[in-house]
Amino acid sequence: MPPARDAMANRGDDDEVCPVCKSSRYLNPDMQFLINPECYHKMCESCVDRIFSSGPANCPVAGCHKTLRKARFRKQTFEDINVEREVDIRRRVMQILNRREEEFDSKRAWDDFLEQREEIIANLVHGTDVAKTEGDLQRYASENMRSIRANQAREAQEASSFKEQQTHEQELARLRREAAKQEYENERRELQASREDVLTRLAAGRPGDAAAIAREGKKVLLKKSSARRSEEDRIRQKQAALRNSDARKAGQAGTAADKADAAGDSGLIKGLKKIVTPEPEKPYDPFGGIIPNKRDYYTLRDYYPSSYLDPLRQDTRMQAGGYDLQEYYSRTLMEAFAGLGCFIDEEVAQRDPAGSLGASGSVATQGASLAAVSTAGTLDPS
Amino acid sequence: MAVSPSVLYPASYEAKVTSTTIKPDANSSENSSYQQNQFPPSHSNNEREITEQLNDDVRLKYIKDKRLGEGTYAVVFLGHLRTKPASFVAIKKIKVNAEYKDGLSMDAIREVKYLQELSHPNIIALHDVFSSKDQNLNLVLEYLPRGDLEMLIKDTNIHYGAADVKAWMGMLARGVWFCHENFILHRDIKPNNLLIAADGEVKLADFGLARSFADPYLNMTHQVITRWYRPPELLFGARQYSGVVDIWSMGMVFAELLLRVPFVAGNTDLDQIAKICEAFGTPTEDNWPGVTKLPNYLPTDSSHVVPLQGRDFFLRQFPTAGPVGADLLMSMCTLDPKKRSTACRVLQHGWWSTEPKPTDKKNLPRKPDGIEKMGHDLTRRGGEVDDTTFKNAARQLNFSGARG
Amino acid sequence: MIEDDFYRTSSQYRLWSFTEASLKAQRATTNAVASDRVRAAIRRAQEARRSATSSATGTPVPEVDGGGGGSTSTSTSKAEEKPIECLTPEEEQQTVSYYCEQIIQLGEAYKPPLPTIVRATAIQYLRRFYLTNSPMTYHPKQIMPCALFLATKTDNYYMSLRQFADGVPGDTTADDIIAPEFLVMQSLRFTFDVRHPFRGLEGGILELQAIAAGQGQPAPHAPPTQNTPELLRRNLFALPPPTTTTTTSTNPQTTTSSSSSTTSTSTSTITSSTPATAAQIKDRIARAHHNTRELLKSAAQITDVYFLYTPAQIWLAALMVADPPLGEFYLDTKLGTPPTTTTTTNDQTSGQLAALRAKLTQTLTACATMLRSYHPLASDPEQMKTLRRIIGKKLYHCQNPEKVNLSRPGGGGGAAGAKRIPAAAAAVAAAAAAGSGAGESGTSESEMERLAKKRKLEQGAARSKDIFGGELVMQRTKGDHH
Repeated sequence: MPPARDAMANRGDDDEVCPVCKSSRYLNPDMQFLINPECYHKMCESCVDRIFSSGPANCPVAGCHKTLRKARFRKQTFEDINVEREVDIRRRVMQILNRREEEFDSKRAWDDFLEQREEIIANLVHGTDVAKTEGDLQRYASENMRSIRANQAREAQEASSFKEQQTHEQELARLRREAAKQEYENERRELQASREDVLTRLAAGRPGDAAAIAREGKKVLLKKSSARRSEEDRIRQKQAALRNSDARKAGQAGTAADKADAAGDSGLIKGLKKIVTPEPEKPYDPFGGIIPNKRDYYTLRDYYPSSYLDPLRQDTRMQAGGYDLQEYYSRTLMEAFAGLGCFIDEEVAQRDPAGSLGASGSVATQGASLAAVSTAGTLDPS
Repeated sequence: MAVSPSVLYPASYEAKVTSTTIKPDANSSENSSYQQNQFPPSHSNNEREITEQLNDDVRLKYIKDKRLGEGTYAVVFLGHLRTKPASFVAIKKIKVNAEYKDGLSMDAIREVKYLQELSHPNIIALHDVFSSKDQNLNLVLEYLPRGDLEMLIKDTNIHYGAADVKAWMGMLARGVWFCHENFILHRDIKPNNLLIAADGEVKLADFGLARSFADPYLNMTHQVITRWYRPPELLFGARQYSGVVDIWSMGMVFAELLLRVPFVAGNTDLDQIAKICEAFGTPTEDNWPGVTKLPNYLPTDSSHVVPLQGRDFFLRQFPTAGPVGADLLMSMCTLDPKKRSTACRVLQHGWWSTEPKPTDKKNLPRKPDGIEKMGHDLTRRGGEVDDTTFKNAARQLNFSGARG
Repeated sequence: MIEDDFYRTSSQYRLWSFTEASLKAQRATTNAVASDRVRAAIRRAQEARRSATSSATGTPVPEVDGGGGGSTSTSTSKAEEKPIECLTPEEEQQTVSYYCEQIIQLGEAYKPPLPTIVRATAIQYLRRFYLTNSPMTYHPKQIMPCALFLATKTDNYYMSLRQFADGVPGDTTADDIIAPEFLVMQSLRFTFDVRHPFRGLEGGILELQAIAAGQGQPAPHAPPTQNTPELLRRNLFALPPPTTTTTTSTNPQTTTSSSSSTTSTSTSTITSSTPATAAQIKDRIARAHHNTRELLKSAAQITDVYFLYTPAQIWLAALMVADPPLGEFYLDTKLGTPPTTTTTTNDQTSGQLAALRAKLTQTLTACATMLRSYHPLASDPEQMKTLRRIIGKKLYHCQNPEKVNLSRPGGGGGAAGAKRIPAAAAAVAAAAAAGSGAGESGTSESEMERLAKKRKLEQGAARSKDIFGGELVMQRTKGDHH
């Protein structure tokens, strides 16, 4: 799409003429010019209305066969239509290639990305390799839809939260001012009250006590106000702490969602951080991945008849101390079967191949893999 | 890791461990001597005995860097793997010949015995044990540079909320549950025994008072658990008890996290009992059958009987926990151990799934200067009490400094 | 299986489990290393003495062979002449086994006797210790009390060293007992937990009793056919009596483990045709419980089963020895009947269970065979004769002279292991001079033989009185000396 250079040549204020209907601003001071980012050919508002109101049509400029829609016509922001066009291209590319610095492994990778983005923009602006560049861009866009959306959302959020924060801060300042005012008021009132108190006491008491009463009154006052101040401080701090932790949590939720994209590296962008775990907001598992009370060889009962253990149930002292036979049952049965299916001769031979010190995998891993093997079957009762 | 009684998740678990611990060089060093029972082949010159060779293999894996803390009982060093300077460990050197004439002290034995068997993300990892010259015992422990919960509770510059408390409690409860699943009582749960790893994970440490569950009819000592965290049955001298003694301590830690001061802090054992009664209610035969038969039970003046506290009390005292959290706390602080929640029940509680969600461990409030604190915590002497002669209640509980 | 992974985290699995071959290789290595060192040390000692005798007035250096008195010079010159004969790995093993039995005896002598579990732990400590150490380097008589004391500490049966030492016969002092503690701990690679089969047996018995009471709980993966408590109970009551070798209709494969067992006490009147009464079953379970426990206390301790099998396998194998049909029955309730009745292996679960069952039968049979093979040394005159030769004579001559003294500071930790602390050495020498028995190898060969003969006459009479098995005369008492 070569820019309409001839249109550019035509500039000026009063002598500006619509290239389509040839009416000039001189005659029609309210005339508005519009452009369409398809071809950037300028025309006046009435021409646009006239030609495109009934649906898409070809650009009326001679030699330009672009199909234009009325909806996409807009005012020109920059005087130079070339700048206008470059800005449009830039905006479009940036919306697709909207990776953020923290997504890259290194500063270097980030810089490379920025450079690459500029090159793509330059290609599109200057019309070099347009087809290939556009192709790459489209492919990237479709492959990284989620990450693009997430980053867009994040940008929007950042913008709005910045605004919010500003209003929030103003609100806080207002509250602080009010609180200070209130506090001052309280103090004033209390001062008044205590003065009155001192006066009444002076009036009632003997003359010798006067100094003492006055001193005391002052002290009480001081104590009261400092106590109140520290109490208020404490409450304020607590509130601040809660707010902080809430705000942090909101932030976290955002990051977690962004990470949800498993970055299908289209090959266009290099050096992206490997996203370790997609962690789609797993529910919190208090047991940390272990299934409680799961057993394979036995089912634990609440009670086992035993002439040896039964007296214990009647022993008040042991009961009062909390001794729990259930714990004993659980232990004896676990120990009865722990390792029943461990065949030492095989497992140890595998684990410590003769003579090779430290060449085998760790026991834990081995245990885990063995466990995986044993569950691979249908032994899971659930 | 150790595979916990889990079949379904071992792989992910393993990954978790690898990311949180230093995992001494996955391929060679750890396996060579710690994990395997391959003994080195006979050397032609036989300069050293086999046991010495084995020990040296372990000893030479680590390099001691600097001293982090020193107590009468142990010195803690920062160290690292020889092959991997970035992998830090804490080396706790126990002075064997210190003062104990009956050989290695019980707390060192207990700590080594139980940590050798336990492997869980919320329990401090014992990577290796070796001896150095002059018969010193060196425990190579997981490096936990972010201090402990006590530090966070006390530091008024640190603000935290309900979600953070939930995250910490969750990790603590998992650690305790895993101990109990392995039939081990910790018997000294308190904030300064809960250390924090670089990634924010809470780790249960100091197994100097730990022991395995007692078989029926066998006695255990009641002189365990630091007083403020000691459950009423131990204060009353019970000799047969269960895992829920640790749950009470957990409840006290929970309350302390919410209040930022110890909840029930008695000056003496008697004072502790009095304060517990005041706070939670007076134990009676009605609310705790058999309590009056416990060896050290003291009848309360009938005029001072405090009724058992209900949910309202907990909700009023701990508004931050919310109604569900208050309910959980109440189930952990039940006077009668028979009615108290077990570790498993604690983890099955609804609080964990109610809002707010526990904070991700990476985002938990942190203090930068925790390394020194770890040094202090690890030099502290664990249990000093033996199981049969409880009359010389030897465990020093120094609350003024909170560490001895 | 979840329970198996639970066991795999234990230090017993990680560090102290072996194949038969690796166990044998380990013992051979230890023996070879120790023999080399012993030969070198004795040679050094002889050279030192030769130079000492030539330079000094000719008095023998007491420390080299313990200062045994007049016969020292003769025995030394003898040793110089003939090549030093070291113990073989098998002889070492026999020696260790003997001292393991002594631990049981010693534990019995305390009032109250030390708990079975403490003694069993001590025995396993001793056995683990001698995987990397040789009796030629460290005499078991020195290590044994230390292992037992350590076990009291690690198994929560705490008593003071003083108290403990009072129970040890002879003139073993508290310091003697505690001296090798660090060495022992280091050899145990600082793993103190021993997984025993005792508690597991209790669990199995609890389940069997529940089944007998009609409260049996089906195993999670057991075939549904055996799943009701009532069926479990009925099958239990229909079991053939323990001593017969007849196979049941349900278990044609039980012959593997049904050879005659130690349950000779069984005078039960149960026959395979009539179902037993509740009392008879209760009695049978109690008897099986007792006999299995006895096996676990003896055969399981002294043989290699702890190294080769898991505690769950050990107690089940012992139950198979004590009451084969009962053991088979119990296993059936868990994993189903053996797979040879191949008609019903259609679904995968039972197929896997069957495979596990088949493998387990093999393992349990091997373990049971090992348990059956055990005969207490002390009650077998033939074995005692051999032992006397090994410990009394051979070990005496190939004891590493540089390791006799294990006094505490520096007595084994790292490179300091071989160092002597002058004060302690002096104390030993003084004790020897005072003729107070000097414990440490102070007896001449001829004297040993004489005593052995004397003991032979007394054999049987007071065998269990002398805790250290007086026949072996390593531990002298005052009266015996001259």
